[in-house]
Amino acid sequence: MKKLKNIGSLLKRIWGHKQGKVGLVMVSFLILVAVFAPIIAPYDPYDVTQRAAKGLPPSSKHLLGTTINSGQDIFSMLVYGTRVSLLVGVTSGVCIAVVGSILGVMAGYLGGFVDSLIMRIVDIMLVIPTLPLVIVLTNVLGRDFWIIILIFVALGWTGLARTIRSLVLVLKNSNYVKAAELAGASRWHIMIRHILPGTSHLLIMSTALSSAGIMVAEAGLSFLGLGDPTAISWGKMLADAQSGGALLFGAWWWIFAPGLGIFLAVFSFMRLGIVMEEIVNPRMKQTSSVYKLFRSLDSSYIEDVFSSMDEYSQIGAKGLQGGETHEASVKA
Amino acid sequence: MKYTYVIKRVLYSIFVFAIVITLNFFIPRIGVDDPAERYYPPQGNMSEIEYEIIKQVTRQQYGFHVSTWQQYTNYLKGLFRGDLGTSFRPGSPAVIDLIAARLPWTLVLSVSTMIIGLIVGVLFGVLAAVKRGRWQDTMLLNASTVMVALPAFFIALILSFYLGFEWEIFPAYTDPNMVSNFAWTWESIRRVAQNAALPILSMVVGSVISYAQGTRNAVIAVTNEDFVLTARAKGLKQSTIRYKHILRNSMLPIVTSLGMSISGLIGGQVVIEQVFNWNGMGTLFLEANNSNDYPLMMGIMLLLSGFTIFAILVTDLVYVLLDPRVTVGDRR
Repeated sequence: MKKLKNIGSLLKRIWGHKQGKVGLVMVSFLILVAVFAPIIAPYDPYDVTQRAAKGLPPSSKHLLGTTINSGQDIFSMLVYGTRVSLLVGVTSGVCIAVVGSILGVMAGYLGGFVDSLIMRIVDIMLVIPTLPLVIVLTNVLGRDFWIIILIFVALGWTGLARTIRSLVLVLKNSNYVKAAELAGASRWHIMIRHILPGTSHLLIMSTALSSAGIMVAEAGLSFLGLGDPTAISWGKMLADAQSGGALLFGAWWWIFAPGLGIFLAVFSFMRLGIVMEEIVNPRMKQTSSVYKLFRSLDSSYIEDVFSSMDEYSQIGAKGLQGGETHEASVKA
Repeated sequence: MKYTYVIKRVLYSIFVFAIVITLNFFIPRIGVDDPAERYYPPQGNMSEIEYEIIKQVTRQQYGFHVSTWQQYTNYLKGLFRGDLGTSFRPGSPAVIDLIAARLPWTLVLSVSTMIIGLIVGVLFGVLAAVKRGRWQDTMLLNASTVMVALPAFFIALILSFYLGFEWEIFPAYTDPNMVSNFAWTWESIRRVAQNAALPILSMVVGSVISYAQGTRNAVIAVTNEDFVLTARAKGLKQSTIRYKHILRNSMLPIVTSLGMSISGLIGGQVVIEQVFNWNGMGTLFLEANNSNDYPLMMGIMLLLSGFTIFAILVTDLVYVLLDPRVTVGDRR
């Protein structure tokens, strides 16, 4: 009950934030589009038999035109594409939050062997290039929708686990945890009831940010023709546009429409995540979360560059946050 | 003290590399009892006996006839000789030769992207840090949030559409003669530069913003340090403080990050090379993926991972040896 109230108050605070309102409205809009796709879409996006309607530019009949090779309605495809993007992005984001928090809390609180095992795994996954690894794994395990989500989760939890671990190291020394230990609470009880709630705000925020990152990665994967072959996704639409001659025949609508879809989805989730980070963690500057997002994306250019600096500032700020949420003085 | 740290760090890198090698060996063997089935997947029109014969031949040819443990030791022995294995391609070329033929073309893109991104990015970053909170800074922040939501391959498609097809400024696809007719003449080099322009441009945008954001944060972090305050208190000239104290110190993390970033750059370049049909490692990797050429895929992965491990090691050691403030201990 208390948790629900927390989430409610968080939503209220996001609503009060100017940019947060924009993000919230956009995300709810996308969710509505995904849920009601069959009602919104004017044509059947899988219908490839419309020979009379090939390569039409945007008009009142076809809002975003049609494809050159099969005459599919692009607006309908765009609407259906929302489903894949949101489902893969949000599911992976939530699963990453669950896995990352469990492993991060275990590493931070239990310490010792568990800690070094988890952290060594993180180290190893850091050095293997992500996109090539994802490609190899889809080749070995198959390209089914759920397998792709599984792969994203299996590779995506490391960054979050690291951040959670450093937060737990601070929380571990706080008075209320010490009190629980003295009262004889078991280690699992402390981890689940006392430490995990202290990381909840971070988890909600990271879900939004990693969903955004996964959406870009998913688009890239299906652009390479390695996504689920049966689904309509924005990345695949772009790949079809390139191979179907959209560039050659000047069908700009075929390229811009899916690109716009990707941009809107990623941008709105990212906005939401950044605003949450700002609300939860007022001392943290906006730029640093943008920067973190850069790193969490597949095509990130600077992998682990300023991490030491970044994490140093985070620990300081998060110690404060732990204190706020639990009304206990937390000193590292 | 420092030297024991260096030795420990080197040993740890070797340990990580050993695990990566082991993973590389076992990932293609997930899900099949016999690696020969990876080379030659069962086909419908073939009798049981025929298939068994083909598998037998394959096993002999690629050394799959010995036990898995022996295959593993053979793989390790090969690696010590610099032999990454034999490709499944017709004629069984060595993986290392295939990679060596493509590596320079990939480096042309990634190194130029890195250099341009670094120079322009650092300039913008310093500008944003100096004008902190003013419109230049806000613009960088807005550009970052927009750019991070636009996948690089979408930018590549847009550039290819307008600069390549519509306005015909640069070639939209890589000229296949570029590689086969390459010689060290001005004509050839000019052609490479023309063909590389669009791929580089589409990656540079993200790279510039990423470096700018990193530089801005680093410069601001250094500006808040005590020694800058001391320099101000001593009454040094503003320009001296800015260039000698702040800039020089904030460049250290950026410069040491270069080695690390290049591997991530190559990993993310796969999609861009695909868009422009560039003859590099990325397209080699995708070709290998499409033909289930596991030795080639794993060879590329191993090379990239090894490079990252090496770069992280060098970065760490440079930090410890050069910067007296870094205390020796756990990096996290």
